[in-house]
Amino acid sequence: MRSTRTDAPATGGRAPLRPPLAVLLAVGTTALVATLLVAVTIGPADLGVGEVVRSVGAHLGLRAPDVPRLHDAIVWELRLPRVLTAAAVGAGLAVAGAVMQSLTRNPLADPYLLGLSSGASLGAVAVLLLGVALLLPVAAFVGALAALAATLALARTGGTLTPTRAVLAGLAISQLAAAATSFVVFWTATGDSYREILSWLMGSLAGATWASVAIAGGALVVVGSVVLAGAGRLDAFAFGDTAAAALGVHVDRTRWVTMTLVALLTGAMVAVSGAIGFVGLVLPHAVSVVTGPAHRRLLPVAGLAGAVLLVWADTLARTVFDPRELPVGIVTALLGVPVFAVLLRRGRGASWS
Amino acid sequence: MELSIAGAGARLGGRWVVDGVEATPPPGALTGLLGPNGAGKTTLLRLVAGLLEPHAGAVLVSDPAASDPRPAVPVHTLPRRERARQVALLEQASDAAVPLSVREVVALGRTPYRSVWGTDPDPGAVDRALEAATAAHLADRAWATLSGGERQRVHVARALAQEPALLLLDEPTNHLDVSAQLALLGFVRRLGVTTVAALHDLNLAAAYCEHVLVLSAGRLVAAGPPGEVLTPALVHDVYGVAAHVLTHPVTGRPVIAYGPAEDG
Repeated sequence: MRSTRTDAPATGGRAPLRPPLAVLLAVGTTALVATLLVAVTIGPADLGVGEVVRSVGAHLGLRAPDVPRLHDAIVWELRLPRVLTAAAVGAGLAVAGAVMQSLTRNPLADPYLLGLSSGASLGAVAVLLLGVALLLPVAAFVGALAALAATLALARTGGTLTPTRAVLAGLAISQLAAAATSFVVFWTATGDSYREILSWLMGSLAGATWASVAIAGGALVVVGSVVLAGAGRLDAFAFGDTAAAALGVHVDRTRWVTMTLVALLTGAMVAVSGAIGFVGLVLPHAVSVVTGPAHRRLLPVAGLAGAVLLVWADTLARTVFDPRELPVGIVTALLGVPVFAVLLRRGRGASWS
Repeated sequence: MELSIAGAGARLGGRWVVDGVEATPPPGALTGLLGPNGAGKTTLLRLVAGLLEPHAGAVLVSDPAASDPRPAVPVHTLPRRERARQVALLEQASDAAVPLSVREVVALGRTPYRSVWGTDPDPGAVDRALEAATAAHLADRAWATLSGGERQRVHVARALAQEPALLLLDEPTNHLDVSAQLALLGFVRRLGVTTVAALHDLNLAAAYCEHVLVLSAGRLVAAGPPGEVLTPALVHDVYGVAAHVLTHPVTGRPVIAYGPAEDG
């Protein structure tokens, strides 16, 4: 027995010192830029950071093209879209997870809480196996939206929308969509298509294109800035709904508008990459150890950290067993579970006890 | 702030939890809101806070100190941010789900003043509120490590950071030791802000409140200075216990001695 007191951390009750936001943003941005440049060089074909910079510079019209055609194509057509998609998806999932955890006051909330990932999976499987004539990202997005709509409709039956009802309804819709997905897979899948589906269900960035960068990046920028502008309102939820209302926050509208926006963001992410787990669950907790819970600090730093993490996770996924690729969701789970265990041991916050 | 509760009522699940309450708590003073569990104290506070729209009657507020004195308006029709700059509510047993520092908790009180970019037009307000609530020494502590009395003091600082003209406290002395109870109510009374506090302890109400409102089953059954309102007959009618009212040897205020119970 080291101590019988559970409420006082080793700091003697002092709140941890929190580094200035500017420092965190500077460190995060530097790490992200370095990550992007280095991650593009990793893989078959011997590329250097200098070559990457020259190739990108040429495509942006900043300099004359002088990189060998093959290397230039690897950088610009293959790796860069993939790395940028990974960054946008990682950032989006981290931001979405942080917001969901605050709005539901539930530390186990993640971006897929409202049935989004199962709905997206059902949409994707319908395309892959049943030959529904839709582009896969479109089908996944439609599936996610359908699940969201079903969840909110179910949560609204017989009374007001509360976070608990939304979580329970999301659980039910998730199970339903998962069962439907399993049924379709069980009934129609053959050996080859099975691997393709599994890879999608676990989350994968292998199909990333410039269109994925536009979808994920666009959703991140639009939803991210709206949510960041409302960061103060999210903070006001710390002591619950009544306290937030007494501070002048329109509780219902804030909760449902923000949840819907975040669900759309998540839908866009799932559409380009499948349901990548753990980023949205674990990162907000890990980042808030450094930033504190204030959303104006937490959201941007979580976004940067999510971007860096998912780029490296995806780089591992495509290189460790080269030429075979792992679904990146396996890597994020392998990274995420130990981090989660450490956070649990630290027992942060009353709601974890 | 001048507060006028004009026949306010609220239904919950078909039952009138607050029913036709008429009262005008004195401005700038501490008013005690008394009554047994389930009498409707919390619901009445939510009505007065403008968080609940009355199903009957109205709660009217006006600020005679304002530079442009306006007629009294129903509090629930005030724009949310403006209302939060005028009315602060301390809930019963309110705890945070996230690891905040004391300063961050108090800064939440500045929410209705912040711009969309999160800047506070009055950066010194948090420190002043901490100072006023004698909680400045707690500023860098982690919220989770505070004692009950310290938490209540920080909650008061958060409410003061809203710079309210009307302060509403829901059982602020619950879970506090005697000295913390006396310190809190003495401090609130000295603020000179119109305050309505739901209280369970009749002796605390008698000692600190200028005015008391007594609720029973949603209705206002008595209102006035504690010396006039807190009679043995009223305590018996409302709480169902025998009581004797004595006089405090120093302050001259009423002291209520309970029992013995009628059935022995």
